[in-house]
Amino acid sequence: MNGAHDLGGMHGLGPIDREIDEPVFHAEWERRCFAITVAAGFLGQWNIDMSRYARERMHPAEYLNTSYYEHWLHGLQTLLVEKGLLTEEEIAARMLELAEEQET
Amino acid sequence: MKALKAEDVSDALRHSRGARVDEDVVPKFTTGERVLTRNLHPVGHTRLPRYVRARHGTIRCDYGVFIFPDAHGMGEGKKPQHLYSVCFTAQELWGPGASAHDRIYLDLWDDYLDPA
Amino acid sequence: MSEHHDHDAPLPETVLRVKALESLLTEKGLVDPEALDKLIDTYENKVGPRNGARVVARAWVDDAYRQRLLADATAAIAEFGFMGRQSEHMVVVENTPEQHNMVVCTLCSCYPWAVLGLPPVWYKSAPYRARAVMDPRGVLGEFGVTLDDDVEIRVWDSTAEIRYLVLPRRPEGTDGMDEEALAGLVTRDSMIGVGLAKARGDG
Repeated sequence: MNGAHDLGGMHGLGPIDREIDEPVFHAEWERRCFAITVAAGFLGQWNIDMSRYARERMHPAEYLNTSYYEHWLHGLQTLLVEKGLLTEEEIAARMLELAEEQET
Repeated sequence: MKALKAEDVSDALRHSRGARVDEDVVPKFTTGERVLTRNLHPVGHTRLPRYVRARHGTIRCDYGVFIFPDAHGMGEGKKPQHLYSVCFTAQELWGPGASAHDRIYLDLWDDYLDPA
Repeated sequence: MSEHHDHDAPLPETVLRVKALESLLTEKGLVDPEALDKLIDTYENKVGPRNGARVVARAWVDDAYRQRLLADATAAIAEFGFMGRQSEHMVVVENTPEQHNMVVCTLCSCYPWAVLGLPPVWYKSAPYRARAVMDPRGVLGEFGVTLDDDVEIRVWDSTAEIRYLVLPRRPEGTDGMDEEALAGLVTRDSMIGVGLAKARGDG
């Protein structure tokens, strides 16, 4: 698809922002996002090409404004819901529970 | 559907199958041949970037038979076909103002290519 | 909708969503917590560019190995036990005085995990992915590398499952250095093609 991910030749994106000696993961959520994505892939419900396509379907404005693991997270949720492993409702409900726990 | 177990992680990562398909498929192109990439704009998954559509290139080598992502990513099966390393000059892709020396290599499948 | 943010300030929604997915998947027996920890440990601590550096150093000292590496990189790299996910189909491209190689994945961030580990943020980000294929010399300049005008730059866009590793040129004045010391000169950036190997004595 002609999505925002198809970046070859695009202008105006600015300098290449390099962090010297950067860590492999920048936050705990990135570690967990990486691990659950790879682990869920081993369930055999989708292949790597489907997982790329799921990330590509992010809205272009959102794609360009979010980080790599946010793309992974979007793709993972898309696949989990499309393949019927989870529902949007239970994800939202769990997020609400966790948010309420954090506040207490 | 069972979760990947910790004791299987190492093997699972090291012995991944990859994308090569053990099937006899007649290649459409040979090394050195001139090709013209197709002007495809699928709404589904593709690995043919926009910057390399309807462009002339040269086959550098044939990597053999591989899964075709445009089909595989849409749940349409592996559609195995030959995958080539294709060379494009910078000027072919970016116009006369681009470097006269530089080259860009992409890995492209039979279904992306026509004879030039 | 997420807003642009830096790594120090994770968006509450993103963190919550990851926790929600992990807890739901764990409850349903679809992911195993120990396996998750093992996956993280593998790529955070066990696999990284030191693997690729060993391959490069071997190619510098052993010409027969270098030839095997150029002829069948997957097999030659597997001689070290480096193999697997995102490195099932390896190709090594050699820098020479006439040619400099650079690797990118414009469409996502494909990268040879088994020899380089997980890619750095800049490799996965829009500016590199957009410019590497269009202005490689400008990109090299940003990385502090200047090549002679007549050097041919070859940019490899990883559009399939072939994974490319650059064999950087062996620095001058390194005769007699052992393989381990030579591996210490091989930077991750030199194996992507946005840098050169370090000179002897460089920190």
